[in-house]
Amino acid sequence: MTAPATPLLRIAALKKYFPVRRGMLQRVGGYVRAVDGVDLEIQPRQTLGLVGESGCGKSTVARLILRLLDPDGGTVQFDGREITALNEREFKPLRKQIQMIFQDPYSSLNPRMTVAQSICDGVRMAGIKDKSDQRERIQQLLNMVGMPAASAGRYPHEFSGGQRQRVGIARALSVSPQLILCDEPISALDVSIQAQIINLLKDLQEELGLSYLFISHDLNVVSYICDHVCVMYRGRIVESAPAIALFDHPCHPYTLNLLAAVPETTEVGWSPQVGAEWDRAPLPDGCAFGDQCPDYTEDCKHEPAAMVKVGDHHYVRCWNAA
Amino acid sequence: MDQPNDILLSVENLQVHFIGDGPVARAVDGVDFHIRRQETVCIVGESGCGKTVTALAILGLLKQPPASIAGGRITFDGRSLLDMPQDELRALRGKRIAMVFQEPMTSLNPVFTIGDQIGEAVLVHERVSAEETRRRTTQLLDDVGIVDPQHRMGDYPHQLSGGQRQRVMIAMALACEPDLIIADEPTTALDVTVQAQILSLLKNLKQKKNMAIQYITHDLGVVAAIADRVYVMYAGVVVEQGPTGIIFGNARHPYTIALLNALPTKKKRGLRLYNIPGNVPHPAYRPNGCPFHPRCQYREPPCENAFPALCSYGEGHNARCPILFAAHGRTQEARA
Repeated sequence: MTAPATPLLRIAALKKYFPVRRGMLQRVGGYVRAVDGVDLEIQPRQTLGLVGESGCGKSTVARLILRLLDPDGGTVQFDGREITALNEREFKPLRKQIQMIFQDPYSSLNPRMTVAQSICDGVRMAGIKDKSDQRERIQQLLNMVGMPAASAGRYPHEFSGGQRQRVGIARALSVSPQLILCDEPISALDVSIQAQIINLLKDLQEELGLSYLFISHDLNVVSYICDHVCVMYRGRIVESAPAIALFDHPCHPYTLNLLAAVPETTEVGWSPQVGAEWDRAPLPDGCAFGDQCPDYTEDCKHEPAAMVKVGDHHYVRCWNAA
Repeated sequence: MDQPNDILLSVENLQVHFIGDGPVARAVDGVDFHIRRQETVCIVGESGCGKTVTALAILGLLKQPPASIAGGRITFDGRSLLDMPQDELRALRGKRIAMVFQEPMTSLNPVFTIGDQIGEAVLVHERVSAEETRRRTTQLLDDVGIVDPQHRMGDYPHQLSGGQRQRVMIAMALACEPDLIIADEPTTALDVTVQAQILSLLKNLKQKKNMAIQYITHDLGVVAAIADRVYVMYAGVVVEQGPTGIIFGNARHPYTIALLNALPTKKKRGLRLYNIPGNVPHPAYRPNGCPFHPRCQYREPPCENAFPALCSYGEGHNARCPILFAAHGRTQEARA
């Protein structure tokens, strides 16, 4: 689909283990393998969907990209440049290239700062020093996200959830980034507002040539907005495919499970396919999906499967798919 | 059409106002609906449309003041709930009408085991021995699909996953075999795979226990999955109602149509989603006339002043939009 040009972001074998401390001495009793060898690529002007259940590590991936957390292994390359080894000073200019939009627009804006103040920090960071230039840029940003000019002097509590999310987007855009990490950007919003924000994100992508990492558990939204989708399960990518291929021909048993669980408005009286409860048993040695899989074999028990190519840009981590 | 005793719950012209310092917030502004025995009815709407307040009014759980029931009638199994003395209502609540809330972690008491809490739900309404309570609790946990109930009874809420906690909440609601379960967004906080399990559990239990379910949600996909009939609420009013298949196949209210067009799906890839302009109005500052008119693409001058009448399309399908009803009539005539 896309030419093998340099991807904007390339992550390889990324790892983050959180220590679990136990007892009075807070000794490290074990590790939660939140992100356990994740590989993914985001092409310029594309939207990559990262889907999975809560706790699968999808938000941790975003935090690792932004260096809000330090990885325990693996590499992150932005625009061909390795960024995990950079120190804070070297990384700072790159932060302008990568911005984030959060799930909850209520808690991600400072309630004591006006909209203009919230956005102005970014405008200043972008190198605009003159006060009147700053004001002009803020107005331009508000206009881009469809907010009235008069909102600049107002506080977050005066706005609805959808409007606050627009302010969050304007703040992210203030430093002219190339990549925006969207962590569940619409799941806290009302249904009638979600479409407004999705349309806005698509328009901005077109206009500014942005790339998105779109983290979501809402598979309907992902199927609509994403070019490529990675399905994550217990810290690993289990399937990676162009969106159409993934939703038309899912291959990994976990992806099948996930898709079967989505209630759709076109299926009146649908009876859900019910799998077992996602338990918190320790990660098995072999395939993380373990004995929940209908085709579980001896091979799966001992060794985690490698990614197997099953189609154009379509990879699956499953022995049975090979 | 309906046998009078077929209707389990009926709500007529219910009005709930919240009175504070500012203008009166008309959270529920004349809602009518009914639930038949063994029927699953979905109340669907966005936040602030009054769907939860309606449920709380039925159960007599609204704090008055600030809330006040300004008018209307609620009848359950032939008895008026609004005039019922507190002690009778308390005897009914939990026994014949039970409720399941959205957030199972905040609805369970963290310092008691789940066995104690389910047992309490039984003991409040029935005088039974400790032995019998234990047997019933085990059976209830088994009914809601908790593996190894004998041992899990001793668990505390924090030891369970979100899905298991919601199963425990459902077990508590089932404790006295109610006729009606009111479930307020019971799967919103859960992952899709767990949501599918809970939906399928509710479907099976309904069959097994002959209950009716009033299911409150904002998720149209969930509605399609479980509802027999649907009421669509907007700004404190039911704007459309009908059998599930008709609502999704043949919606006749601009709000329902807009919501369905605004939903992102795989089929709409590459197309622009329908943009519903504006925001949900605040309950204290609702527009005159049709509450949806400022955001409506079909609005005409009368919509700004006249509260729209309920127009009937037959088969229990009604929508509060005379504009589309007239247009529909014209196409019917043209066809004939």
